[in-house]
Amino acid sequence: MSAPKTIPKDAQVMIQILKDMGVTEYEPRVINQMLEFTYRYVTTIIEDAKIYATHAKKSSVDADDIKLAIQCRMDQSFTSPPPRDFLLEVARQKNQSPLPLIKPYTGPRLPPDRYCLTAPNYRLKSIQKKVAPSVGRISVPRLSVGAVSSRPTTPTLGTTSVQSVSTKVGAPVSLTGQRFTVQIPPPSQMTTTKTTTPSTPAVSNVLINPSLIGSKNILITTNMVSQNAAGESLKRKHEDDEDYDAL
Amino acid sequence: MAAVQGGMVDAKDELDIKSEPPSDGFGNSNANDGRLLSSSPGAGTGGTATGNNKPAPGPPEEQQTLLAVLQFLKKSKLAESAEILRREAGLPEDALDPKGTDASGSGPGLAAGSGQVDGVDASSLLSRVTVSSSAAAQAPKKAAAGEDQPDVSVVLSAYSQQGDPSLYDAYYSGLKRFIESVLDCHRAELSQLFYPLFVHMYLELVYNNNESVAKAFFEKFSGDQECYYEQDLRILSSLTKKEHMKGNETLLDFRTSKFVLRISRDSYQLLKRHLQERQNNQIWNIIQEHLYIDIFDGMPRSKSQIDAMSGSLAGEARREANKAKVFYGLLKEPEIELPLDDEDEEAENEEGKPKKKKPKKDSMGSKSKKQDPNAPLQTRIPLPELKDSDKLDKIMYMKESTKRIRLGSDNLPSICFYTFLNAYQGLTAVDVTDDSSLIAGGFADSTVRVWSVTPKKLRKVKSAADLNLIDKESDDVLERIMDEKTASELKILYGHSGPVYGISFSPDRNYLLSSSEDGTIRLWSLQTFTCLVGYKGHNYPVWDTQFSPYGYYFVSGGHDRVARLWATDHYQPLRIFAGHLADITCTRFHPNSNYVATGSSDRTIRLWDVLNGNCVRIFTGHKGPIHALAFSPNGKFLASGATDGRVLLWDIGHGLMVGELKGHTDTIYSLRFSRDGEILASGSMDNTVRLWDAMKAFDDLETDDFTAATGHIHLQDNSQELLLGTYMTKSTPVLHLHFTRRNLLLAAGAYNP
Repeated sequence: MSAPKTIPKDAQVMIQILKDMGVTEYEPRVINQMLEFTYRYVTTIIEDAKIYATHAKKSSVDADDIKLAIQCRMDQSFTSPPPRDFLLEVARQKNQSPLPLIKPYTGPRLPPDRYCLTAPNYRLKSIQKKVAPSVGRISVPRLSVGAVSSRPTTPTLGTTSVQSVSTKVGAPVSLTGQRFTVQIPPPSQMTTTKTTTPSTPAVSNVLINPSLIGSKNILITTNMVSQNAAGESLKRKHEDDEDYDAL
Repeated sequence: MAAVQGGMVDAKDELDIKSEPPSDGFGNSNANDGRLLSSSPGAGTGGTATGNNKPAPGPPEEQQTLLAVLQFLKKSKLAESAEILRREAGLPEDALDPKGTDASGSGPGLAAGSGQVDGVDASSLLSRVTVSSSAAAQAPKKAAAGEDQPDVSVVLSAYSQQGDPSLYDAYYSGLKRFIESVLDCHRAELSQLFYPLFVHMYLELVYNNNESVAKAFFEKFSGDQECYYEQDLRILSSLTKKEHMKGNETLLDFRTSKFVLRISRDSYQLLKRHLQERQNNQIWNIIQEHLYIDIFDGMPRSKSQIDAMSGSLAGEARREANKAKVFYGLLKEPEIELPLDDEDEEAENEEGKPKKKKPKKDSMGSKSKKQDPNAPLQTRIPLPELKDSDKLDKIMYMKESTKRIRLGSDNLPSICFYTFLNAYQGLTAVDVTDDSSLIAGGFADSTVRVWSVTPKKLRKVKSAADLNLIDKESDDVLERIMDEKTASELKILYGHSGPVYGISFSPDRNYLLSSSEDGTIRLWSLQTFTCLVGYKGHNYPVWDTQFSPYGYYFVSGGHDRVARLWATDHYQPLRIFAGHLADITCTRFHPNSNYVATGSSDRTIRLWDVLNGNCVRIFTGHKGPIHALAFSPNGKFLASGATDGRVLLWDIGHGLMVGELKGHTDTIYSLRFSRDGEILASGSMDNTVRLWDAMKAFDDLETDDFTAATGHIHLQDNSQELLLGTYMTKSTPVLHLHFTRRNLLLAAGAYNP
């Protein structure tokens, strides 16, 4: 192919190089790509060499600096596969161990979970439902429960009656500490749990508690929830069911 | 220095043996041959040196090491230290004289005449010693591994100067004149010497910084070489400095491994006599260093025979490399208990079951219970047991195979071509499931796309939430777990970060493997269409991957010149198959899953044993990188296609080339045998699919003892007779071929206007 005079000299050199290397068919953009690569490579090397020269307190860059720059870049960007004798040795060691026996009936045969890509790679954000809790269920005990345990521990307000109420929703409490169910407890419950909270009408309870609880919930229970939520999105549905059942 | 000792032990042993007539040693085909040969410079060059070179009694390895150190000191002009060492070590006086040759590696011997190489070689010597000792530290001293083990002595001596560089021209011309003057029958064989000698001499000149001499040498003699070495020569022509060689692993391997030549005894004697009677036998030294001459007794080979077998980067294969026993038979099909109301299925004769009226005639039912002597034991390698779903698959398979069309030269298959449109040259890999229900394509934009070929759409399993809501006790629970809402004909799998070069479906259609330029192999689930595992091991592009015919294992090969055997439940490879000199471009399992064939850019095909990782066969003969491999269904033969457009047929049991199919004009990218092995289909970059008569090609084979012993092949030039048909596509290179269970041929490629 003839190079019209409008092609810059560098491009002509590149065309010649491609021809010498035996590459006869290529798209025209290849020359641009090669030129860009050359420019980038050469400037990187020269910049590195300048740094080495100043490090060695030399006034100008000389051949040794360039050689060093090339060598360092080579090890970094243009690695080559390991040498043959190394591979042979590695192979010899690896091939010595016998093939492992196959365990029967194990379902999908995959490596341990750490090496698989099957773990969830997301985390659910905590949602905040500003729903009034019932008198019977006091969110504070949920806070105390707030550790990972699924059984509620002794609530901070520490009354057995509260415990009994909250045990009804033992598991969900810990997991979904910040979820409040709307419950208008029957008066019997109200009386039993009177000691835990001021036995004001439910409404007032509702008013007071969410604000307190809300903030605390975010602080305390978020981590816990996030740990569990990721793997237990299914459970949340169950909790819903259970909550409704508890109603 | 401990590592250096390893190589020197061998050299030392040979020096002792040398007292016997050297010619006896050459006929042996054992791993020590190469090193044995390399000792003969001691015998060759003015015989006296060997006599004097008897080291003093002492552990041979230490002796050699001391000699090496001594020589080094001398070169570095540390005369006093050298003297002290010599005195204390009790080395003979003449050990100090730099020998004309030192190919046995007893020390980097530098030719006396080449005064100019002093400083340079001392420093390069040191670098070499450190390089080789660190490399050799890993290469064990044992000789058990056979010809693949690098000989440290060779590594060291490979870089030493043999004679005056300016005389190389004269040496080569002298040899050329001699070879041209011998008898015709010997000339073809001795001409094999030209190429390796030329390359090694050129590389030596380059390595020792004789750039201008090297260039002149190249220009003068490169034109004489065989045409099929053209690509290599072009690469060589761009190498003019030592630094250029550093990054090129293939060339380094070429330097350190011995180029194998097969020459008849008569020709060899002729050559040896000629080279030894001259005073100046530098060429002899170079031959000893870099070439391994496998001698056989018998008629010299003709030019065509030699041409058929040569072309690979490392010469031909030694005869003993192809002597190991290979179990090429098929594994017995398992007995499947079939419901009695299914009329058509019966895997094997089972006592107690009434004989069916239509016994199976195909290979599935082997009526004899005897073990095929050529088949491996069922338990040779652990294989996964059959699950119920697998048994159902097998039943389907048998049903389909009853309806299979018998192909033959008079009954050609129909070909159905699946063209990928709008791929913009991005289609890099294709695979089809065994029952031909799914096609997957790997693309340069790092996606994997799966299509359903049948009207049945692709469905993935419902999410966990929805799965809870279904009735688990119903009969059609397997349909209910599938999500109808997202059913589609095409599913795209994202995950790789580089073009996808290899794709393989698992036999049970549950998994899909893809290998990519990013160095990983990914396992995708075809139930959920998500990625399950990424297998990291190759750090360089992985060019090909394939599942084993029984599932569970898969093999991959890539740019790092090794093939790896993996199991889906191990995150690291189980076996590493190292030995090729250049990238591995194609990997295929044998139908009995006990062997893996790898084709490489070094133009050889190697067959590896899965059980212990050994290379059991080396097949040379292609003149370009190999891109397609196919095992015949009976396991006895292997077909290979390369960039040179030829399909070569190999007999695995004997390790010989049995056929050559010429016809294609461009790279062959796919090969496939029909289900019963009667037809071989090949697809190529020249936009054609060609069908060849495999039955006839394998029919009359000369496998007498002479052929098997010497590896002489007599290829018939019957490509034209074997070609059954050529089918052109409209500018669509054929990337993949697949015979359905009923022997319909499917082909796939991307339209390339």
